Amino acid sequence: MSTLRGAIDASASALNAQRARIEVAVSNIANAESTRGPDGQPYRRRDIVLATEPVESFDQALGRAGASGVRVASVVEDTEPFRRHYEPSHPDADAEGYVAMPNVDVPEEMVNMLGAARAYQANLTAIGLIRDTIQRALELGR
Amino acid sequence: MNEITDRAILAALGRQMNQAVQRQSVAAGNLANLDTPGYKARTVSFGDVLEDELQAGAPLARTSPGHLGGITPADGAATEVEGLAARRDGNTVQLDRELLNMTRASGEFGAAQTALAAKFRLVRYAINEGR
Repeated sequence: MSTLRGAIDASASALNAQRARIEVAVSNIANAESTRGPDGQPYRRRDIVLATEPVESFDQALGRAGASGVRVASVVEDTEPFRRHYEPSHPDADAEGYVAMPNVDVPEEMVNMLGAARAYQANLTAIGLIRDTIQRALELGR
Repeated sequence: MNEITDRAILAALGRQMNQAVQRQSVAAGNLANLDTPGYKARTVSFGDVLEDELQAGAPLARTSPGHLGGITPADGAATEVEGLAARRDGNTVQLDRELLNMTRASGEFGAAQTALAAKFRLVRYAINEGR
């Protein structure tokens, strides 16, 4: 049964990664208008990088087919230039009356969040199926 | 024709469950990497294992009677699936395909489990002298 535990670990790691993705998308949307970050600059859009990670080294050492999980490799900042708005009355406007706005595109974040939610759901379904299999195995002992 | 022994049936059912578990694990791994750039969907192949099973009956050659006979490997190796369309980020995982694989593996496991439970019931019947 060790591989099934590995499968659940893999799915759980994906739940974690997708949750992180939703968190990042939410903070991007929340800061879509933040013109002052801790460094005095407007907020920069963040994105996460996912990477494959083997969850069970024991199975792999035996040459068995094991599940591979996923982890958040890093959170990177989007290097796209800030949007420039003409708003002379804004306290952060420059000499020409332009305000640098975060490089966040709200519709894009919404799409990102939908994708993450779907992936989260798929992994939850996978965990349910694995749980059913384990349940069936346990019924042998009755 | 060889008589099919109880032991062979039990072993075969056990192997079927083992393979279903490995299929399910690999599919779960694929699902976990649904959004990992460059990840290639993997699958387990048991073709060689089946070949070994068909040759069963011929035990491994031993150079000394003290050596163990060896075990038929019931473990498949995970390989990348060929011919799947890759997305723009190089990922080839298809959500429906993996969920289908998992459900199918679940069904195979359930079938083997039912048969195995029936076998065990017979054994229990014998142990309890038919009571």
